[in-house]
Amino acid sequence: MAYVATRGGERAIEQSERLFRSAMGEITEDRVAEIKKAMPYLIDRVMGEASLYDEDLAALALAQTGGELFEAVLVLRAWRTTQPRLHVAEPIGQDELFTHRRISAAFKDIPGGQVLGPTLDYSHRVLATEVLNGSTYAPEKVDAADKPSPAYQPSVAVWQAENDLLDLPERDETRPEDIPDVTREPLLFPSKRAHTLQSLARAETGGALALGYAAMRGYGQAHPTVNELRLAEAEITVTHPKGTQFSAGRVKVSQAEVVSKKGEKLELGFAATMGWNEVKCISAATLDLNSKGAEKGSATEEEFYLYHTEGVESSGFCIHFKLPHYVTFQSSLDAMRNAKAKKSPKPEPAE
Amino acid sequence: MTIAIEAPRLVKAAPLLTAQNVSKNYGDVQAVRNVSAEVFPGEVLGIVGESGSGKSTFLRMLNLEETPDAGTYTLDLPEVDGNLFELDRFARRMLCAKRIGIVYQNPHLGLLMKHSSSGNVAERLLVAGERRFSVLREKAQEALEASEFPIERLDAPPIELSGGMQQRVQLAKAIALEPALLLLDEPTTGLDVSVQALVLDTLKRLQQERKITMVIVSHDLGVIRTLADRVMVMRRGEVVEAGLADQIFQDPQHAYTQQLVHAKL
Amino acid sequence: MSLSTLTKDWEPMSYGFLDASAKREIRRKMLKAVAVPGCQMPYASREVPMARGWGTGGLQVSLTLINPKTTVKVIDQGADDSVNAASIRRFLSRVSGAPTTLDTLDADLIQSRHRIPEEKLREDQVLVLQVPNPEPLRPVQPNMSIARQMHADADYGRMWLQLYEQIVRSGRVMQGASYPSMVNGRHVMTPSPIPRWDVPKLHMAKHLTILSAGREKRIHAVPPYTRVEPLVFDDVPYKVEEHGDLTCFRSGAKGFFMNEIPQDDGSSTYEISDSEYGVKTIKQAEGTETAFGESWYQDGEMS
Ligand SMILES: Nc1ncnc2c1ncn2[C@@H]1O[C@H](COP(=O)(O)OP(=O)(O)O)[C@@H](O)[C@H]1O
Ligand SMILES: [Mg+2]
Repeated sequence: MAYVATRGGERAIEQSERLFRSAMGEITEDRVAEIKKAMPYLIDRVMGEASLYDEDLAALALAQTGGELFEAVLVLRAWRTTQPRLHVAEPIGQDELFTHRRISAAFKDIPGGQVLGPTLDYSHRVLATEVLNGSTYAPEKVDAADKPSPAYQPSVAVWQAENDLLDLPERDETRPEDIPDVTREPLLFPSKRAHTLQSLARAETGGALALGYAAMRGYGQAHPTVNELRLAEAEITVTHPKGTQFSAGRVKVSQAEVVSKKGEKLELGFAATMGWNEVKCISAATLDLNSKGAEKGSATEEEFYLYHTEGVESSGFCIHFKLPHYVTFQSSLDAMRNAKAKKSPKPEPAE
Repeated sequence: MTIAIEAPRLVKAAPLLTAQNVSKNYGDVQAVRNVSAEVFPGEVLGIVGESGSGKSTFLRMLNLEETPDAGTYTLDLPEVDGNLFELDRFARRMLCAKRIGIVYQNPHLGLLMKHSSSGNVAERLLVAGERRFSVLREKAQEALEASEFPIERLDAPPIELSGGMQQRVQLAKAIALEPALLLLDEPTTGLDVSVQALVLDTLKRLQQERKITMVIVSHDLGVIRTLADRVMVMRRGEVVEAGLADQIFQDPQHAYTQQLVHAKL
Repeated sequence: MSLSTLTKDWEPMSYGFLDASAKREIRRKMLKAVAVPGCQMPYASREVPMARGWGTGGLQVSLTLINPKTTVKVIDQGADDSVNAASIRRFLSRVSGAPTTLDTLDADLIQSRHRIPEEKLREDQVLVLQVPNPEPLRPVQPNMSIARQMHADADYGRMWLQLYEQIVRSGRVMQGASYPSMVNGRHVMTPSPIPRWDVPKLHMAKHLTILSAGREKRIHAVPPYTRVEPLVFDDVPYKVEEHGDLTCFRSGAKGFFMNEIPQDDGSSTYEISDSEYGVKTIKQAEGTETAFGESWYQDGEMS
């Protein structure tokens, strides 16, 4: 046979995947457990972007993708989307969050107090190179405060509203099961409030930061002050078909409220996500704050930032440019050559 | 305060344009208050008044870009009837595309600065349904020529042209379809005095040749005097005086108009 | 009676990967898309085990349409053996048990990226085109919500102006692939980045074409026997790529869309883009009995 269609493609992709996976070696339950234990903040970030709260699955996704974050989020999302929605938990108020960390930059002290909680904010960022020489880096013991801060804290914004400093958004009485779900329906604009908040909750951290930072630097109309930042745990309260309510456990959540002065009042921007991810919450809340009245096509316009912080879509589109494009290229080439031939004074070559 | 001034009619015909009791607020600002106007076919209505008096807002409403809080607007054209402010978005777009031309003070509002000048004119014809390339080109060229645009720069983008030339492209775009109504918002403001005169000459010639019904807005009495048959004086959103141009210029009744006319003279 | 007798055993994956709710939504949106030809219907667009931009829109449609008896063909840039086509074909067959084929004539369902096969499709066949950007207005209006309104108003002046500008600047319409086309006289759609060569194949075609953009979450369709007219001025005719006279150096097939292969000496040689058509041509030349379908183009001219 003069021509055998090369079916090399299938073999090539098979082998390239093997090559990628061989670098990671065997994935075991132990490895997954170690990732989960050692990297809680990475797990949180991945869970938030995947909008799936399951530390084991997130750790597995990281193990399976060798820590290629976009791939880890995609594999989790692809799993999540096939799972049935069994139940919708009860809504939870800020004052019902089991709070680990809660700070406000707006006031020196706030009702309920500033609770520093766990943070690297004031650490000196020095690499513990001794570990590489065989020493063990052991965290120092935490000395408990004399008086533990209360686990449940009031909302700063509520206090401000009571003092006529800001207007709280109108209370949304939509029943939990009727809240529109952006993972099950398309995002259209102007976006439903629930869709906006959900999209920000699953936004890619780096993307939210890039656009949020642009707004903070001055490409936005409002300069944010962190009104309240919280790292907390939220109780998942579900209702048994018989009517009894019970807790199905707690999930880590983070949220940020940022404000800026608008006339005689403060304007509020809000974002929350699953897991603890401060940078994302502050950036996303800044985008939310700047969104009202933003010019079409500006970085702080809802359509612009919601589309462009969608990590699965942006990363997928980015890597798709590796796919062959020779048909489209050929088509453009044809138009270019033809246009050039028309312009050139030389007569076209005889056919 | 509303003053209803019965203007003597130049022509015995039904008015082409009738606007009645048009009002528009922006928040607390009453941009236009209870303004009524009639324009007869082939006539030029000039609107004068100091900056901020609501002239542009009124003109934008006549171009159906803006919806007033109250009032009615009719055009005596076979394809429309009733209050035009009640037309839906689609009908407005088609009416404006086919029958109303506008020249803005700021060419950025009226032109695609990076497209070709001829393309800017052609777009109107395209919206109206013209699908022959050769006809588009021909008509764009005609309209540009009529606007005394240097025809060798036919395909230059407005961004590379002078302010006067940009206004001529806007004008060509506005007249490309022989509109029933031409709206001009300070078409010469911001141009050099000499260029201003040239553009005004073009407008005057076009008006005389084609008998286009026009509404021209300017804070400059000179401009209004050159073109308008009738004049409406606006102040703080309201009409303070209206009448024949000669009458207004020679014998202004309202104190504000007198002040304007005398300041100018 | 226990829970396990009342329910199905847990399985890590539904038939055809997507769960029933996702498939139901896509079925509804496909019906809407067929009902209003060329109009983009937003859909949720679930994540699938492939990266966005890699045919996830087409894949979701294929996964919804597929059953164990559907014979599937997958092509990418005209080739069945392109790596991504191979990957999608393997996935479709793995999650559905559907048989696969390389021959256009044998396929019930063809998922394709950037090409329509050279053999005419029949009424019983469905073509699923992968779409990177479903919005033909994007170059003139990047904002999706405004563009949506423009479609609602059939406000295509800017679209036409773009063509006018290209002719003024370059002497011809410079649009390569993805040539914007009017469907059923009402909606301008992108036919996906198929070459201009392929657009006339959609006009009054016997088959149903579904175009699906996973990342952008839009489905549109060209139902059978529907007008698809490339936007052209009345006096500037539509031009397909000048491939009508080219000959495939491997198979000798002539008059079809080609891939250009640059040569060391600075010249180019050509190979037929529809790879399986090339294979069939060779087989026949070697004396193997081979069935060909009627092709859209004959002697390099659209018939
Ligand atoms: N889009 C707008 N939003 C808010 N206020 C406006 C707007 N357009 C005009 N105004 C206000 O309405 C009043 C009339 O403005 P305008 O019609 O532009 O006056 P003129 O053209 O006579 O200078 C001014 O006080 C102006 O600030
Ligand atoms: Mg003005």
